[in-house]
This record gives sequence, C-alpha cells and structure tokens, in this order.
Amino acid sequence: MHRNTNQAGSWRRPVWAALLGLMLAVGTAATALAGDWPDRPVTLIVPSGAGGGTDQTGRLLAERLRARFGQPFVVVNQGQGGGVVGIGAITGARPDGYTLGILYNFAHYKPLGQADISAGDVTAIAQYNADPAGFHVHRDSPWRDVRAALDALKADPAAHTIACAGGCGGSWPVAVASLLRAWGVDPAAARMIPSQGAAASLQDLAAGGVDVVPCSLPEARALMDAGLVRGLAVFGSERLAAFPNVPTLAEETGLTLDLGAWRGLVGPAGLPETITAQLEAAMADIVADPGFRDAMAAHGFGVVWRDGEAFAAFMRDQETTVRAVLRDLGLTRAKP
Amino acid sequence: MDLSVLAAAAALVLTPPVLGTMMAFAAAGLAIGAIPGLTATLGVALLVPATLALEPVAALAGLMSLAATAIFAGDLPGALLRIPGTPASAAYVDAAHALSRRGQAGRALGLGLACAALGGVAGALALLLLAPGLARLALHLSTVETFWLACLGVSAAALVARGSPLKGALSLLIGLAIGLVGLDPVSGQPRLTGGVDALSGGAGVIPVMIGLFALPELVRTPRAHATATRRDVLLFGGWFAAVRRDVWRSRGRIAAGCGLGTVIGAVPGAGADIAAYAARAVAGRGAPAKAPGDDEAAVIAPAGAANNAAIGGALVPATVFGIPGDALTAVVIGALTLHGLTPGPTVFLVEPERITAVFLAFLLANVMLVPLGLLAIHLIGVVPRVPRAVVTPIVLVACLIGAYAVGGTDVAVLVMLAAGVLGIALDAAGVPLAPLVLGLVLGPRLEEALLTSLLKSGGDPLVLVSRPGAVVLAVVTLGLWAWPIGRWFCSVASRRQDPSS
Repeated sequence: MHRNTNQAGSWRRPVWAALLGLMLAVGTAATALAGDWPDRPVTLIVPSGAGGGTDQTGRLLAERLRARFGQPFVVVNQGQGGGVVGIGAITGARPDGYTLGILYNFAHYKPLGQADISAGDVTAIAQYNADPAGFHVHRDSPWRDVRAALDALKADPAAHTIACAGGCGGSWPVAVASLLRAWGVDPAAARMIPSQGAAASLQDLAAGGVDVVPCSLPEARALMDAGLVRGLAVFGSERLAAFPNVPTLAEETGLTLDLGAWRGLVGPAGLPETITAQLEAAMADIVADPGFRDAMAAHGFGVVWRDGEAFAAFMRDQETTVRAVLRDLGLTRAKP
Repeated sequence: MDLSVLAAAAALVLTPPVLGTMMAFAAAGLAIGAIPGLTATLGVALLVPATLALEPVAALAGLMSLAATAIFAGDLPGALLRIPGTPASAAYVDAAHALSRRGQAGRALGLGLACAALGGVAGALALLLLAPGLARLALHLSTVETFWLACLGVSAAALVARGSPLKGALSLLIGLAIGLVGLDPVSGQPRLTGGVDALSGGAGVIPVMIGLFALPELVRTPRAHATATRRDVLLFGGWFAAVRRDVWRSRGRIAAGCGLGTVIGAVPGAGADIAAYAARAVAGRGAPAKAPGDDEAAVIAPAGAANNAAIGGALVPATVFGIPGDALTAVVIGALTLHGLTPGPTVFLVEPERITAVFLAFLLANVMLVPLGLLAIHLIGVVPRVPRAVVTPIVLVACLIGAYAVGGTDVAVLVMLAAGVLGIALDAAGVPLAPLVLGLVLGPRLEEALLTSLLKSGGDPLVLVSRPGAVVLAVVTLGLWAWPIGRWFCSVASRRQDPSS
C-alpha cells in the first residue's frame, strides 16, 4: 500500500488522491497487525437478528467494553439458521481475543443434530443476564388469560401455531413446551414455527401469522407499548418490576416453571488467560456499575452475575438438563 | 413523521464527524462514478469494509453520500467520452455526448447535475415521509405476504430486466442456485457447503457482487478505452444560463422523471437503470425545440432526474421490507445489517432515530451534490488522461482486499474470483447481472417464507392465498407473468392468421 501513497503524492489531482486514500483505508482496516490486545476493533458476534434481547444486551455491553478498552467492539448480527451460524462463527474463530460473542441457551443444538457445539467449545468469560420467558398473544386474540390459551391448546393442539422466536429447540420453545406438558398437552402435537429470532416472530404475531410467541417480556415491549401485543404471563415466581401488569405463571396457573433465557460473554475455546482475565474483570465492573444495571432495567433485562468458572459449570449443567427435557418432550429424534 | 424523532435524527447527523465522513465519501463517490466501469453499486460494496471501524450513523451516512454522488458522476465520462459511468447513465449518454460535441459539454453536465440533485431530493423526501407509514403497514405482513413480495421481486428481476426476459430468467436462476448454499433457513442443517464451514453462512452477497461486477469491467475496459483517447474541448463558461433555461423548459419532464424514478425505484427488481430508461421513454418527447440542443436537453432532464430519484424509491422497500429494489440497495441492506440496523418494520420501532438519521443523511447528500458536482465538472479533464494500465491493477487489488475484509476468510476471496469468472462469462453471453444478485438476495428469503407458511398450515398450500394482502400480491405477481405470456400468445395467434406479416 506504500507504493500507492507515493503514487498519489506524485499525482497532482485531488480526485485521484481521494480515491487512493480510501483504498488505503480499506487496506489498513484489513491488515492491522496483532500486538498488545486490543490494538484494533474487536468483533462481538451476536448470534441473533438485530432487535432481539441478545442483540440489545450485546449492544449495551459493546458500548461499555469499548469505553473500557479504547477500541470499538463491533456488533455483528448472525441470526441465520436459528443462531447456528453465529455460534459457529464464535467457536470457529481464532482465539486471539478479536472475536468474542454472546452465548445463550445453546444446549439443544447438539441433541437436535443442528450443530456440534458443547460447553467445551467456548471459553466462558462471564454471565451477565437471565430473563424469564413470557407468553404473548395478539391484541385481538380471544384469549384473555393464559389459562384460556392453555385450555384451547389442550382441546386441539394442532389448531394453533406457536412461534419459536428463533430455532425450535431454543430457550423459548423449551419453556413453552415444558408448560404444555405440565398442563397435560402433548407438545409434539402443537405447531411450532421457527424464525430468525424474537423480532421476526413478534412481527408475525402482530400481523396475525402466529397465535403465541413465548419470548421474554422486554423483547415484546415495543409492540406491547404500541398496543399490538398482550403479555398474558411471565414464567418464574415474581412479576418483573418493569412489567407490573403482567401476572406470573404461578399466579395464573399454580405452576412454578423457572424457565427462560440466559446470556453471557464467551470467546472461542483456548482464549489466552491474560485476555480472559482482563475481560472477566471488565465484566465484573460493568455488571456492578449502576449505569449498566439502570440501562438493563430500563430495557427490562434481568441482571445475573456468574464469573467465568461458575458460568462454565452452569453451561455444563445446562447440557444435561436440557438434553433430558428435550428427550422427555419428544423433541429429539431417535437418530438424526 | 414524528418531529421529536426527526430532531433526534438531525442531532445525530449534524455533527462534525458525520458531516466530515459524508464529504469524504461523497468525494470518493464522484471519483468512483466518474471512472467508467466503476458503478455506484461497486463503490458502495468496495467501501463497506472501510466503514467497519466507524460509528454506524457516520458509516451509513457516508455510504448514502457515496451512492448519491456516484450515480451523478456516471454522467461525466458519459458526456465527455460516450462511456456511461453507470448503467443508469447509459439511458441518455448519446444525448449528452451530442451536446458535448457541439461544444456544450458544460450544458450537458450542468443540466445532468441539476436534475440529479432535484431527483435525489424528491426520492429522499419520499423516503423520509413515506417509509415510517409503510412500516406501520408492513406490520400487517406475515410470512405469507413476505413470500409473495419475494416472488414479486424475483419475477420483476427477470421480466423487467432490459433485453431478453429469457436471459434475465437464466441470470435469476443462477442467483437462486448460489443462494441455496449455506444453512437451511428452517432446520439449520448445512447444505451444499461441501463441508466448508466458512460457507455455512452462504456464499456472501458482497464478495459475489464485487467479483461479478468489477472483474468483467477490468477485462472489458481495454476495448472501451479505444474510443476514449480523443478529448473534446470543454467549454464551461456561460453554461449556467443555458442550464437554467433547460431546467425551466423541462420542468414538467423533470417532475415526471422524479415521480417515475421514485415509483419504479420502489418496485423490487427495477431500480435506477430501468427508471432512467422508462423516464426517457415516457417523458422524453415534449415541446418543439427552439434552439440547437433542446432535443438533447429534453432527454437528459427526465432520465437524469429519474436515476437519482430511484435510489430514494429503492430504499423504501429495502428498509421497510428488507427487500432490495436493485443491486445497489442489495449492497446497502448488507451495510445496514453490518452496522446493526437490520432492515424490516421493527427497525422503525426499535431505533427510529438512527434509521431516520440515515434517511436525513441521504437527503443532505443530494444537496451536497451541487457544490461537489460543480467541482467535479471542473476536474473531469484529468480522468481520460490516466492510463488504463494504472487503473486496472489498482481496482483488482481493491477487489481482493474488499472481499477479504468483508468475508474475513480465504474462501471469500475465492468466492469473489469465482464470481468474477462467472461474471465475465455471463457478460460475454449478454446475460444481465442484476437479476443474479437479486436472486442471491431474495432466494433464501423466499424459501424461508414459503417453508414457514407451509409449516403453519400443516402443508396445505392454500395458506398462501388465505389472507387479503396475500391475495392482492399473488394477483399482481401472477399478472406480471401473465402479461408477457399473453402478449406472446397474441403475437403467435396473429402471425397464424396473417402469415405475410
């Protein structure tokens, strides 16, 4: 590229100088050398479409990580294949600290035969969030409460559609399928509809394309505020502070199902200890920071802290429990 | 339009870094558009990687400025050398060149600049005022309607494309086939990746586009350059009065060009190129000529306005439905997604300020076009003097770097080179390239919408016409196919009746 600069200098005309200068910019962006981490922008892969909960919390983190490390943390949304592409991009990246990602409920991919990912494929840095699932219906839905919806589903499971708000096997469909099973409905008989993520499923709900979307409350907030979507219930045992009008599942049905989504910062397996330690310390500060907690609360996200070690243990535990749930619910095929 | 959103968006755009980025990208747009073979589409595709380190608003505002100026700059070599800088300026290259040969190069370029700015502002206003309303409308679109919209885009790509519809369809099918590579959009299983993990996200629209458009131009330019050696005398003095007169005389045609450009640009699969030709055809003939050159001016005015208005129009379905109107907006969608503004109705709910800021930047870019365009007209004299031997290797290196920077893998570079070979072959066979890009972009969307719709109905295909919106879109799509087929039947029938014709 140096040769180009010299040529540009020898040409008197600014049009050419501008063009070559921009080409130089393309080159530098691509060829920055590795040195003291981080000396160039870090890619933060969000394995979901823009607008969903993983995306929103990922952006809150990216902003603060940039402030702390002085390099942009560029959010890249890869929601294709129900998140498989994004997660594959994280686990397949070089463990040099320049590709990190947000990981969420991943344990269903392997038993469902969608992707070969296990807790050992990532370096756990820290968990920062957990959100209970919700039960959302269209404004004009005949169901006024979650019992009415469950009874209708029980009467004829195949007559209604339930969006997966992502791949069918993720946190939300697992939660809603567990609820159906607890209510005596065969989840395998319900029509589960995959999508690119919660945002896409909610759009389909607003358009009347599906009957139920089981994503988290914060993800549905914009459409709830617009009056297009109603939240009938939230999983877990307590109402969310940001959504005092949405009753808990326990209040409505007497069932206590503490299910939902969790999110944490991870890198590819084998991330150098020095980088992991820096990131873990930064995450501890961010999660403790009142500004971050306020921002998370303003968006309605729950803050949960697990350090790297506890987060890794939690993910290994998830693998066993989710596999058992999928088997119990008949979601796993005998042999994919 | 919510005024508080507009004010917040203006606050995002009217900052020194954003305005500085816009100026730099606008200048780059002029340089790129002015070089024959380097199109606005290619310019945006090449510079997307350079925006990775920028803030999203600055990056997207810059790319908008580049798109707006590059389309105009295509007129410069068109008027002077009879080489259209962009496919859109090919619609009036003859008229502009005829004016130049009469020593009225300044009039041709000045009129082109005035019309481009007017058309661009019209398109930007339509985008700014109509897009949020369309977003609310789009919240009524389920996967069923998305399926038909994607069908409509795919059909328009083949049928509205210039030249033979058969070649357009062939190009489209190649694009759809390339679009099959990657993970199955519903089950998430890898497909046609040949075990290459880097392909599980698909072949990648931008590496394919860089190769497809840039490499054939590199092969083609030596021939085109043969006509480029002769330079006409440039006479810029005193053209302002002539341009003012032309704009006033052609005010009706310019308005028609703005309207047609916006509407045709908004039809998926049409875009700036077709808008320019259509505006020329519909509005090209008007008042009888009173002075030499008036006929040419009457052609330049509507087509020049339409090709810039079409960008604003094409951005409406691109941002609201995520469906590209043409190849340029297909690249812009990629850039928006890269910077965290995934096109779709929810973007207007989630981040109304940022998407409005992008639209506002596009409006501003069309205003900035006037001073920058005047500067470019004065500088244009140098471009024909730069030897091809210098330009060609620089462009090739930029392609290699651009493909790697976007894909981040060696595979992306190989995909770019393979697409280049494909592009050279298709170009030689006279197969248009734009339908291929639309097929590549729309194929996965079409497939996902169809499969999820069928999942909802348990496999009953009648679900595709189960909603009023879907029925309307289905009728429009099928009508689009029925029209040329019906015409063909009529012509066959009339030939049978009257063998002499």
